[in-house]
Amino acid sequence: MNSRALCTGYQPIFGMSRRQALSTFGMGLGGLALNGMLGREALASRSGGEVGGLLGAPHFAPKAKRVIYLFMSGGPSQMDTFDPKPMLNKMHGQELPDEVRKGQRLTGMSGNQASLPLAGSPFQFSKHGQSGLEFSDILPYTAKIADDLCVVRSMYTEAINHGPAVTFMQTGSQIPGRPSIGAWLTYGLGSMNENLPSFVVLLTKGKGGQPLQSRLWGSGFLPSEYQGVRFRSGKDPVLYLTNPDGIDSTSRRAMLDRLRELHELQFADTPDAAIESRISQYEMAYRMQASVPDVTDMADEPDYVFDSYGKDARNPGTYAANCLLARRLAERGVQFIQLYHPGWDQHGGLKGGITTQCRETDQASAALVSDLKQRGMLEDTLVVWGGEFGRTNYSQGKLDGDNFGRDHHPRCFSTWMAGGGVKAGTAYGETDPFGYNISRDGVHVHDLHATMMHLLGIDHERLTFRFQGRRFRLTDVHGEVVKGILA
Amino acid sequence: MFNPERRTQFLLVIVGLLVVVPTNAEVQYNRDVRPVLSDRCFQCHGPDSGKRKAGLRLDVASDAYANLAAPDEAPRRAIVPGEPQQSELLKRVYSHDPDKLMPPPESKIALTEPQKQILHQWIAEGAEYQPHWSFIPLKPVAVPKELAADAWCRNDVDRLVLAKLRETPGLNPAPEASREVLVRRLYFDLTGLPPTPEEVDRFLNEKSPLAYEELVEELLKSPRYGERMATDWLDVARYADSYGYQVDRDRTVWRWRDWVINAFNNNKPYDQFITEQLAGDLLPNPTDEQVLATTFNRLHQQKVEGGSVPEEFRVEYVADRTHTFGTAFLGLTLECSRCHDHKFDPVTQKEYYQLTAFFANIDEAGLYSYFTDSIPTPVLAIRNGAAKEKAAALEAAVAGEERALEQIKTEQRDAFEQWKQALTADEPVVEGELARFEFEDATNGHLANLAREDQPAKTPAANVLIEGRPGRGNAIQLTGDDAVTLPVGNFPRHQPFSVSLWMWAPDKVEREVVFHRSRAWTDSASRGYELLIEDGRLSGALIHYWPGNALRVQATDELPLQQWVHVTFAWDGSSRAEGLTLYVDGRPAQVEIVRDNLYKNITGSGGDNITIGERFRDRGFKGGRIDDFRVFDRELTALEVAQLYQPKPVPSIAKADDRLAYDYYLAKHNEPYRAQLAKLQEARKARNQDQDSVEEIMAMREKAGAPFAYVLQRGHYEGRSEKVGAATPAFLPPMSPGAPGNRLGLAQWLTDRSNPLTARVTVNRYWQMLFGRGLVGTTEDFGSQGELPVFKNLLDWLALNFIDSGWDTKELLRTIVTSSTYRQQSFVPGEIMTSDPENRLLARGPRYRLPAEMIRDNALAASGLLVEQMGGPPVKPYDVAESFTPSSPDSGDKLYRRSVYTYWKMSGAAPVMIALDAAKRDVCTVRRERTSSPLQSLVLLNDPQMTEAGRKLAENCMKKHGDKIDATIDEMFLRLTSKRPDARQVAVLRCLYSEQLAYFTANPASAEQFLKTGESPRDQSLAVPELAATAVLAKALLNYDECVTKR
Repeated sequence: MNSRALCTGYQPIFGMSRRQALSTFGMGLGGLALNGMLGREALASRSGGEVGGLLGAPHFAPKAKRVIYLFMSGGPSQMDTFDPKPMLNKMHGQELPDEVRKGQRLTGMSGNQASLPLAGSPFQFSKHGQSGLEFSDILPYTAKIADDLCVVRSMYTEAINHGPAVTFMQTGSQIPGRPSIGAWLTYGLGSMNENLPSFVVLLTKGKGGQPLQSRLWGSGFLPSEYQGVRFRSGKDPVLYLTNPDGIDSTSRRAMLDRLRELHELQFADTPDAAIESRISQYEMAYRMQASVPDVTDMADEPDYVFDSYGKDARNPGTYAANCLLARRLAERGVQFIQLYHPGWDQHGGLKGGITTQCRETDQASAALVSDLKQRGMLEDTLVVWGGEFGRTNYSQGKLDGDNFGRDHHPRCFSTWMAGGGVKAGTAYGETDPFGYNISRDGVHVHDLHATMMHLLGIDHERLTFRFQGRRFRLTDVHGEVVKGILA
Repeated sequence: MFNPERRTQFLLVIVGLLVVVPTNAEVQYNRDVRPVLSDRCFQCHGPDSGKRKAGLRLDVASDAYANLAAPDEAPRRAIVPGEPQQSELLKRVYSHDPDKLMPPPESKIALTEPQKQILHQWIAEGAEYQPHWSFIPLKPVAVPKELAADAWCRNDVDRLVLAKLRETPGLNPAPEASREVLVRRLYFDLTGLPPTPEEVDRFLNEKSPLAYEELVEELLKSPRYGERMATDWLDVARYADSYGYQVDRDRTVWRWRDWVINAFNNNKPYDQFITEQLAGDLLPNPTDEQVLATTFNRLHQQKVEGGSVPEEFRVEYVADRTHTFGTAFLGLTLECSRCHDHKFDPVTQKEYYQLTAFFANIDEAGLYSYFTDSIPTPVLAIRNGAAKEKAAALEAAVAGEERALEQIKTEQRDAFEQWKQALTADEPVVEGELARFEFEDATNGHLANLAREDQPAKTPAANVLIEGRPGRGNAIQLTGDDAVTLPVGNFPRHQPFSVSLWMWAPDKVEREVVFHRSRAWTDSASRGYELLIEDGRLSGALIHYWPGNALRVQATDELPLQQWVHVTFAWDGSSRAEGLTLYVDGRPAQVEIVRDNLYKNITGSGGDNITIGERFRDRGFKGGRIDDFRVFDRELTALEVAQLYQPKPVPSIAKADDRLAYDYYLAKHNEPYRAQLAKLQEARKARNQDQDSVEEIMAMREKAGAPFAYVLQRGHYEGRSEKVGAATPAFLPPMSPGAPGNRLGLAQWLTDRSNPLTARVTVNRYWQMLFGRGLVGTTEDFGSQGELPVFKNLLDWLALNFIDSGWDTKELLRTIVTSSTYRQQSFVPGEIMTSDPENRLLARGPRYRLPAEMIRDNALAASGLLVEQMGGPPVKPYDVAESFTPSSPDSGDKLYRRSVYTYWKMSGAAPVMIALDAAKRDVCTVRRERTSSPLQSLVLLNDPQMTEAGRKLAENCMKKHGDKIDATIDEMFLRLTSKRPDARQVAVLRCLYSEQLAYFTANPASAEQFLKTGESPRDQSLAVPELAATAVLAKALLNYDECVTKR
């Protein structure tokens, strides 16, 4: 259909030429960004004129331009993956010594147990790469990229249950309501692709486990355009992205052209900036209808790429497919890509449970790092892998040989990072021989956040937003950049 | 919420516009200085005594002027009024030495040059402090007399606005908006719905000079008004149909939402409106409706996640109530003083906890029940008049049967004597035994049941059999983590029953479970019955929902340790605490009644039979020993219990205490008594069934005793320090001396005309509702960091008038919407649109995108799909299927109800509403953000609700106008924008139609497909391509700015 051919009687009388309109409204020419463009208006009304958070330029030269955060929801067990504790195997079945526990609080799930028997890992550890980093045998692919990783073994948090702990890790506060880390960074950095959101969230489909809430990638008190846009694995990666059945893009384009003409007429009568903004909003929506499927349709990836991420990579919504999609998003300028993979909550049946978790994530996580490296993107992409807390060195419930579970443990856990200015091939921090407390170089959640922001060129103390009379920041009034992991 | 830098610049703009500024205009503390000090200095030199540096306080004049130097040093004062050179503050602010510079460089909040100048000038001019404007009591506002007869001014709102505008030459009010614009503005503002074409025409054609005022009256009377007003209040009240947090199960609280709608429609005076919500339960002889209002306080998120600490979340709930109170009514950010004294406003941490005490005094649990659907206590039972009568009758029947039983008790002495004389058999005999375990041996984990061979108990091997009482064979010793499970014990509460056992406790503990019938502890709110050791004392309970719906008695004496004790738990079926007797060594123990408020079932939730020694996520009877455990299906009498404790040679009845023997006789052998007891049980059963089935809603019920709370260090639930009573902050007027020291007293204090905040905050919120922006832009913060209003006089005038009108909300709205200020055009050519983008100066009318609910309701109303049924359970439109936590949409009428009735799931609310900036409602929200993003366009373009509405509108127009497309365009435009299109617009739309018609004619299958969107069937009588093209036409208009924007 040629919509122009049908109507010849009408010419826009709006004082601006179409060419001018196109350049003004950012039809692929202007510098208006999907997230950034309307932020200012919203911010202005929201914070009484303050737009200070939006950085014209970073506070200092960034090492990383984007983040891919592989969030392992549920709390992966550190002593079964990255933090070998032979002492636990030696003392398997013996009571957790009081001098190790030091009376620190336990959850209501194991806190009332009459006995807390230590449990050694059922997995074998070995050293890998030139760095000699140790991994358990359920992480064979991650082990192969040992020399690209910085494993932090001394992470700690304050929360002891999933809700508060995930919220803390994702927003810097245990109580819901604060902006997520991705929202803060988007607020600080703006956008690099006007056709895609700056902050995209991907969840592994079909996983049980602890429920995740949209507020974890929400914008809290920041304007809503900074919230993460969750790409769904179904028909519409974005809410109502697809036209209604029966409407194709020619019909839609024709309708939008007429709608724009209506808006142009209106603007001619009442030249209000809000009308301009509405016009560009519709144009961008139309472009997203093409740009989002372009990134989510992975048919153009060669077989060897799919193979490197694992056979799941061909199945949309799996962790492997999401890792590959994350790389595609990163290539197109999306700055914060957050994956969630639930199911790491091994209160019982740890051996089988965590083996499955690793099978689902190990190959694709490693492939993502390698793929980025191969494309020369790893140096300015920060990849973070980790959960909200660790797990206890003792068995929750009965210890029956190597059939046991582990409860939540906030006092130490492991996280790895790669690329984006972190020291590769290192382990940072140490836990005690029981894997219960940190013995050296603890990294608090706020410190992790401060460090991530630092790598992106942001001073975590200076990226603030005023709400309810005070300046808020991701790291509250805490957080130290962990110098020891910077390259 | 205001960057002082920007603020200064902006104020200069405003000052430039509003006042003829003499050069070097005098600096005012509230307007110019406080924002700088508050934002840059109070952090360390403000109200927070804990964080105060160098002992310097700058928010109080006497402190700021005081000498800071040691006695042997030269005097040093931060501020010396009139003497900038001697003021340490200025030396520091202008210092080049990084060690001296203030604010310190590491704080990263440097002062700008204009800010420094403001401080300098202020000190030079005498450094005069002013009390914070919003904390000063309301005083009558002088309305400019010279404007009494001004033609533009319709009322005093206009006079106060115009007087301010006149201060700036060249600034004038905008002309009145067209009648089309006004009628649409009014309909949306007062009813949330668009006017129909008939209503538009009626207003346009109405010749009466009072047509506008009459329309206002009509709309205020519309039931749609209450729905519109309630929508905003649901944000304030953080209303949701689910509990929130992680698990986010559904909860039934919609009856409270309907209460709100009715309250607005009945124009309940605002002081009553908030008093009932805060403290309706404490009013004298409160009605059910007044108690229902208090559900307001319970609408915060609630927790159920396994392993959570109940106290942690109880503290959170109390905090949320307090913060909501602060934000909604006082415009104060009380949450800032949870961990330390407020940095900016004079609220100390102690005062914060004194306020929380008002909201802490209810019998609630910190977690709701995972394994049951019990409503978290306290609750209101939902009973209508007939149900109440029935409940009263059933209660009276129980009382009658109880009296009859007591009567029989007085009449059977003779029969007793005769029975005793004739006694030949061995007595007493303990009957009704359902199970008996002596733990002599365990075969494959089975423990023999001496009462029923085929129903053994079970135990894991970890519980070991060891020697028990001397000469009595074995007993079982428990690990505390391993349960002994019995085959019996699922008793309803009307059923008398008894459990007896020998037990041996190794040590004194804070808490241990001896036996229980329940699924879990906090994860099922302990529903069932249980015998615990708490603080070393036996404690027996029957529980529906702990603590608010339960009874518990606790022994006053500690349980003897490391010796065998005989314990009996005997229940009479009464649902009263006195009906539970704990016997120790054959004698009733002295007990204290801990709770006596059981009014629902104790069965259900799983774990149907008795478990010994262990419970899910509770502390088991570690190292405890049990022997001779028996269960009976009747209440044992004292004589029988004594017999169980110390079997005496029979016959012993003759030697027994006569009173005990008589009770025994009645229970076992007296037919009239036994028959009456059976009748009583039936009456209780009937009463209990009625109670069990009654619907409940969370509400407030004050506990006995004066409210109190603990100051929590760093706000942490474990950081208890000083215990404090309930009190209001000292910087505000005190509660009146005679007022009750509870929530009711708090509500009286809040609504007293001496309270400087309540009325100001309220009228500001309603101004915001109508103008899109409050007179104070920071609707949630009237404190030191909040915005200083340009129109403070107008705010105060409205507030005082609001109080004087008897807190008449409709009158307040009437006053505002009938003003000329409100009726202005929303667009004026010229610089003012950019120099005053937020319309702080009110030199034009309101203009902003409609709220989410109105956009959807508008589409439903204009298309004729809207179902105007009021109230009832929440409904699920199409988009809930796309929510992050998806639900199945409803069907039929429920798809087309007003958005105020849309099901609100806290963890994934209706995504279309959220995309259009609806509040998430996880916390009290008094101001929505307004953003504009392509995601919103996609929603309006592709949401099936919108597509279906477009089709229905198309069908209606086609049925009416046939193929007269211009008539259809005309009507659609009118329905969706309340005005008629001009020739240019018609040309564009006609073009749109013909393009789409060509498309659908060429693609008939696409047209068919497109018309299938939505549940309602398409009108088969209409031509398919034409209908599809008309539907796209409607769709385009549904996305048109004039349809979705208030102008």
